[in-house]
Amino acid sequence: MVDTESFIEDAVAEIREEVGDAHAVIALSGGVDSSVAAALAYEAIGEQLTPVYVDTGLMRKGETEGIRDIFSFMESLRVVDAHERFFDALSGVVDPEVKREVIGEQFIREFEREAKDTDADYLVQGTIYPDRIESEGGIKSHHNVGGLPDVVDFEGIVEPVRDLYKDEVREVARALDLEEVVAERMPFPGPGLAVRVIGEVTQEKVEVAREACHVVEEELEEYDPWQAFAAVVGKGTGVKGDNRVHGWIVAVRSVESRDGMTARAQELDWETLQRIQSRITGTNDNVARVVYDVTHKPPATIEYE
Amino acid sequence: MTRIVVIDNHGQFTHLEQRALRDAGVDTELVDNDTPPEEIDADGVVLSGGPDADRAGRSAEFLDIDVPVLGICLGMQIMASELGGRVGSGDYGGYADVTVDILDDDDPLVGSLAPETRVWASHADEVKELPDGFTHTATSDVCGIEAMSDADRDLYGVQWHPEVAHTERGEEVFENFIARCER
Repeated sequence: MVDTESFIEDAVAEIREEVGDAHAVIALSGGVDSSVAAALAYEAIGEQLTPVYVDTGLMRKGETEGIRDIFSFMESLRVVDAHERFFDALSGVVDPEVKREVIGEQFIREFEREAKDTDADYLVQGTIYPDRIESEGGIKSHHNVGGLPDVVDFEGIVEPVRDLYKDEVREVARALDLEEVVAERMPFPGPGLAVRVIGEVTQEKVEVAREACHVVEEELEEYDPWQAFAAVVGKGTGVKGDNRVHGWIVAVRSVESRDGMTARAQELDWETLQRIQSRITGTNDNVARVVYDVTHKPPATIEYE
Repeated sequence: MTRIVVIDNHGQFTHLEQRALRDAGVDTELVDNDTPPEEIDADGVVLSGGPDADRAGRSAEFLDIDVPVLGICLGMQIMASELGGRVGSGDYGGYADVTVDILDDDDPLVGSLAPETRVWASHADEVKELPDGFTHTATSDVCGIEAMSDADRDLYGVQWHPEVAHTERGEEVFENFIARCER
């Protein structure tokens, strides 16, 4: 395991040396990795750092407000409302890899504009070790790797947590006194709820995924999952109040894992599953059924796309 | 310090093998599988898993450098086919949770796990016939040859992934291997 104290000291010194008196930007996602990278960079260079948070409209419930709150100590924080631009770009896209590309490209456009506006010479990224491996291995393309540096001509890229594993980043987060909500936060994919709806990304499906994810996270807190969420996987028939409903099928997934590389589907009790089912179908008129995913990783991945 | 290198056959878990060795306190490095074996200075070699034997580079040549070798998943299959055994597709894909029965309590690599151990696996192919000189050391319901050893030549193979967090007592497999590598 990483020795957090010496790690933080070294990382801050490295950032300070690298960036010097120049300006730097970081894309803040609200996840642990970029939060830790931002906190380290802020510690090193203070307000020379501009953290940029892009609200893609694909975030979890309450996420944007949470970010504003947690990082209110950074005066330079910018929150960009890019909601409509993302949905426009995603219109008609169904292939999961293309979805990731479109989101990545749109994100770069948003970020490029902000970066140019701040005159930043350096880019800080929260890339962690498995991000590099997964991208090299071709399993899934990763939002932190490549992309940004190709369009903005930065003098340098600083990746302070590049050699750490997720569990180690969390240790560092705790040592940095980042609020528990960040340190203990479940992993959330870069493309957000877009990969929690199978097929085309629409406002309606994303809204269902957002509400259902919220229910699942709340109900499963006591199971202490590594990751728990819901995904909209298709449509099926149901009957509500004597009326036929052709509504969404929501899959619930809850896994335990150390590092995300392997995962075990959690064994949940029937009552909990039923409560989740009832809340999701009861508060979303357009949901016809709820299923629980019992597949481990491998053979499945944790997220659906 | 004992030094064990991991030959990278592009497996998803390769970096976890490096991590397991690092956590066990040995000097370790991830090495590209196209590296000439004579450039390696190590007391032991791990042949990692990977998606395809065609991308195994010069992995097989590391069997000849006279240090203990641990082949994991594809690494074990490379070891088997190179030394005269046979690899084929399994009848039943081995994914996630598998209970493995240890067949040889005295085996230096997996004997200490006897009588059985729960492991995490991810493979479609498997070793069908052992190479000469090897002992069949573990089996399961989904895969006949889960592990094999040639203790005289210090060549070991496991079909499962001792490096992932969900394998129970995976560290022990690495510790047992490290014990064979220590100078």
